[in-house]
Amino acid sequence: MAGRLRRLLPGLTPMSAGTLTIATRKTKLHRLFAYRFAMLAGPGALFILVALLLPLLSIVVFSFWRTQSYELFADWNLDNYRVMLSEAAYRVFFLRSLGMALAVTLACLVIAWPIAYFIAKHGGRYRLLLVLLLAAPFFTGVILRIAALQGLFGPIGIINMTLTELGIPPIQALMYTPLAAIIGLVYLYLPFMITAVYLSVINFNFELLEVAKINGARPWRAFIEITWPLNWIGTAIGLVVVFIPCLASAVTQRFLGGTQSASFGMSLAQQFGETGTWALGSAMGVALFFSSLVAILLIGRSINLKRSGFTGAINR
Amino acid sequence: MSIAHTRRIALPARRVGTTRRALLKGAAIAGAGLAFRPMAPFVSNAEAATPTLRLLMWQPYAINETIAEFESKFGAKFAPTFFDGNSEAFNKMKVGGTKDFDIVQGDGFWPRLYFRQGLTQAVDYGKIPSMANVFPDFLPPKFPLLADESGEHKVAAPNCWGDYGITVNASQVAPEDIGSIALLLNDKYKGKISTNSRFEENIALMGILAASNLGTISAERPDGKPFNPYNLTDAELEETKKLLIQQKKLLLTRYQDYDALDRLMRGGAVWAAPEFTETYRHLTVLKQDGKLDFDIQHVLKPKEGGLGWVDTWMISSGADSERVELAHHWMDSFLKKDNYVRVVRSTGYGGTVDLRDLLTANEIELYFQNRSSEASQLHMFDQPSSPEKWERIWSDVEAS
Repeated sequence: MAGRLRRLLPGLTPMSAGTLTIATRKTKLHRLFAYRFAMLAGPGALFILVALLLPLLSIVVFSFWRTQSYELFADWNLDNYRVMLSEAAYRVFFLRSLGMALAVTLACLVIAWPIAYFIAKHGGRYRLLLVLLLAAPFFTGVILRIAALQGLFGPIGIINMTLTELGIPPIQALMYTPLAAIIGLVYLYLPFMITAVYLSVINFNFELLEVAKINGARPWRAFIEITWPLNWIGTAIGLVVVFIPCLASAVTQRFLGGTQSASFGMSLAQQFGETGTWALGSAMGVALFFSSLVAILLIGRSINLKRSGFTGAINR
Repeated sequence: MSIAHTRRIALPARRVGTTRRALLKGAAIAGAGLAFRPMAPFVSNAEAATPTLRLLMWQPYAINETIAEFESKFGAKFAPTFFDGNSEAFNKMKVGGTKDFDIVQGDGFWPRLYFRQGLTQAVDYGKIPSMANVFPDFLPPKFPLLADESGEHKVAAPNCWGDYGITVNASQVAPEDIGSIALLLNDKYKGKISTNSRFEENIALMGILAASNLGTISAERPDGKPFNPYNLTDAELEETKKLLIQQKKLLLTRYQDYDALDRLMRGGAVWAAPEFTETYRHLTVLKQDGKLDFDIQHVLKPKEGGLGWVDTWMISSGADSERVELAHHWMDSFLKKDNYVRVVRSTGYGGTVDLRDLLTANEIELYFQNRSSEASQLHMFDQPSSPEKWERIWSDVEAS
């Protein structure tokens, strides 16, 4: 140990054994680790500080200001929060977004689990390839993907045009409706959920299921009592990475959702764009941030590290 | 025949109010200008050899052949800087831009605002012989926005114009229903109507109908000025909101760009939509080429009134006498008929210059060369009197 320490700390003077010596060595070791940690984590932390916290802080500040005719005035007040909470329109936007985010997250969960499970268990040497294939839509931009969906669902899209050619009425529910927006969001965020669940299931010990089977458990019971809880962290991460962006989403609703899908995100984007009502938009941004935080905390509280098999002991 | 649809998405986006991004851009330009100021003597020497005309302008008007001809004829260098929206250009000029630019473009109420704030100087129509080619409908006093409030100074020279009228599939919509904004509220066409997604045009256009319904459009206004759909009273705004909510149930969707509207109208999914004439012109060309099997019409000025814009050229107050001369030469060259034909065909916009002797019959119809009197009666694009009130109205409509 002392030799290793000397190699790590060439300037360390050998001292006689005793409490003082150990304390000094510990202090110097801590300093070394602190220095290394600062060197490694510093740039990332600085980036987060500049790119995330400062804009967030400015949004919080703006939310207490006032905008008039496209100009921001530093008149500190709570009006934006009052308007946001008292005007029914913003509540409608929020509830619409919340409902849509919940529906999309649930749909992604139901669709993603069998796919991720199948790839992890039966994918064999093609597992990585299959997972990468799921990322194929990301080779194009989000607007292009939504445009492709428009070409599929729209009144003159492939589905409805084919139906019309066959003499069958077009599917109204797919044309600029909240359902179309939900399908679009599921299409956009499903790969995130699959990846999160897959990364969890890939580390799952399938022999446990064999043991359960030997002990008389039916497949569904083994899933409920073993597979699901032991992969809950991956699922929870999937829920977060799908739910949070869906709650704030605007583009999909705008292009696919029609007139009944105006979301909180769309309204928020408008405050910072066309209407120039940045102060109200900032208050909406703060509300969205805290809603997301609450969602993360709620999901986080459901995680039992020991039951999930992630005790963190490997790092101690 | 073809039209270059170069600004299919950018067109509506460019007519926006002041944005923070524009302010930041202006500040950045000012900062860069200060940073490079020490290099000014060297730059000046280079500039002295060839006079440079520095323009703050919309990109579609930077036509290569036009620029080449101008540079060759006047031995000058053409140095354009492009912008997206009026407010962006205005902010650039405010942040020291009068020294950086000799010409700036703007539309609607902006030329008067520039002049009032001392950012531009008077344009001498006497130095622009090509002004003789401009339709009288686009000249003061008939078109007052090109002169200051007193009418004493000309604040800009006109360029292209456009409208936010209603494009109609005339094979599907009954003739008696065409011609009024009320078409956009007609239950007969439920699910076959679309509007764009911008709140300003939606509220302003429906505001005209609201004021018309209320009978306040021709009544004396609280501000003593003529009716302006961008300055609606609270009662008119309330009525506008009701109409927009009523209209929402009839809409298939709010289109996000002109390609989308093109597709919807071509496919027969939409029969009527207010738009900036781009789709109308595109579909008309297709019709003329035999690629469209229905009739297409464009209501430029509905009977209640309509919205429009006229682009202009202005001269910066910071331009010295040599550059002022050059700026007048540019306007004159640009408005010459031979060049302007190129401008209209290249941009696909309506022209303020009378080109009827140079265009084909189809083109005369396409570019509304016979409809300048209607255009001059349109309500020009403006800034909402209270963006905050308008935002609230739009939110209520969208949440309904």
